[in-house]
Amino acid sequence: MKAITKREFKAYFTSPIGYVFIAVILALYGYYFFQVLMLRSSSFISSVYATMFVWGMMFIPILTMRTFSEEMKNKTDQALLTAPVGVTAIAAGKFLASFAVFAIAMTATLIPVLIIGFFSAPSWPVILGNYLGSLLYGAAMIAIGTYISSLTQSQLVAAISTFGISILLLVIDQLTSLVTDDFTVKIINWLSFTTRYQPFTKGILSISSIVFFLSVIAVFIFLTARRIENKRWR
Amino acid sequence: MIEVKNLSKHYGQNTAIDNISFSVEEGSVVGFLGPNGAGKSTTMNIITGYLSASSGTVTVGGFDILEKPNEVKKLIGYLPEIPPLYPDMTVEEFLNYMYDLKKVTIPRKKHIKEICELLKISDVYGRLIANLSKGYRQRVGFAQALLGNPSVLILDEPTVGLDPKQIIEIRNMIKELGKSHTIILSSHILPEIQAVCERIIIINKGNLVADGTRESISQSLGGENKVTLCAEGSESEIFKGLKNINNVEAVECGGEKEPGVFEYYVFAKKGCDIRRDIFNYCSKNNYPVLRLVNSALSLEDVFLRLTSDNNIEVNPTNNEESGDKK
Repeated sequence: MKAITKREFKAYFTSPIGYVFIAVILALYGYYFFQVLMLRSSSFISSVYATMFVWGMMFIPILTMRTFSEEMKNKTDQALLTAPVGVTAIAAGKFLASFAVFAIAMTATLIPVLIIGFFSAPSWPVILGNYLGSLLYGAAMIAIGTYISSLTQSQLVAAISTFGISILLLVIDQLTSLVTDDFTVKIINWLSFTTRYQPFTKGILSISSIVFFLSVIAVFIFLTARRIENKRWR
Repeated sequence: MIEVKNLSKHYGQNTAIDNISFSVEEGSVVGFLGPNGAGKSTTMNIITGYLSASSGTVTVGGFDILEKPNEVKKLIGYLPEIPPLYPDMTVEEFLNYMYDLKKVTIPRKKHIKEICELLKISDVYGRLIANLSKGYRQRVGFAQALLGNPSVLILDEPTVGLDPKQIIEIRNMIKELGKSHTIILSSHILPEIQAVCERIIIINKGNLVADGTRESISQSLGGENKVTLCAEGSESEIFKGLKNINNVEAVECGGEKEPGVFEYYVFAKKGCDIRRDIFNYCSKNNYPVLRLVNSALSLEDVFLRLTSDNNIEVNPTNNEESGDKK
């Protein structure tokens, strides 16, 4: 698994994908940081993360689209699957590499906040809550994206499908206002990533939310592994 | 070492391989022969654990591929039809990655260096795989299969894309490796199989049609015992004379090949070698023998016979005629 993660992580930076991803995330962060905090003289950091976060989720498909699609297209999966490595290790290894790139981008967003920290006392719980929430939400999206990538040989199809799901998850809450049926509302709320993400933005370390996101990650890594295994039987 | 029992693989409605069974002893080199789409690659993919069979079992070194996949995979070095190379890595990075992936325990630097020297890829060691020629890629793929010194090598068309000199080098290497490894090699290039393998398995349309040494396969096909003779002298005289030789069943005349030189096809009883008799007859009567060939079935004929749809009549003499024209 270590070998796979290492290779995948390196691959992000031998092509421009890794650099572009991090650069774009940081550029957006910089822009909203400036717009919200400087222009409005506000300290409402949650709003910075919330806006930037939406964009971040849109870029995650770019990270995950290549994970398995490229392997299948180049037939390099033959080396991967005939090596003495379990399918779960393959899926987890790929997930970790994509997550590492995302985590680097997110961690770099803490730099401006740290600098502010030298001059005043920002609300650390809220900042770290936002950071952790974004990491968890992002990780769940990466697990979903990795799974979708294992479904198709086409990187484009993988990216667009992941993009669609990403958007659906961002807007799913708005559906509750359209639906009157209590049961459906319940399901939507249960599925909603955003309601799980909310507590973090207030600086609350919600155990149930952490468990929820970790479960989503585990389920999709499991599904990816099953999918790889299943491919052998076709 | 390798046991394949009643192996079948269906892709939806298509049957890729149909109830194939064979076993390979330790230390033997087996050639997999078949036309394109015969099921060679599918069989190899199943043995290596890349695909699963629809039914049947594969055991390698006593381990079942489904029950102990990792044990089996550790024993096998696999070179697929398309070498599984990452274009964005250098040869060095790639071999080190595969070394980690295969959990090899042999000292890294020395092992990789040895393999690179064996395959003559040391000079491209630092280059990106994307920039390598087909021949080099094939050899890097081969190097990857040799990592960890697995006791079984499965090579799917290992010499594709190589130049003639490299082909000979790789063949010699396979022969050399065959002394200490169990090798299954697939190809649709007949001379290659002939040059390298002790045993040949021919598959066609997913079925195993022949299994054995080249001689045993051509014998089992009941190839006719036929000798082609070119001799100078009176056609009718020689024709009569040949008929009177012991064990000769029939003689056909193939026409005049050069002025005064005629060709004859002499059919003898099975198991009789009549070449000496023919020579003695000709020399006694002072007919210069210009050519005398035993037209036993070549591997090519065996292959065509076993794999052709409409049983094209394989006529060894046809090959020879075309050879003459060259």
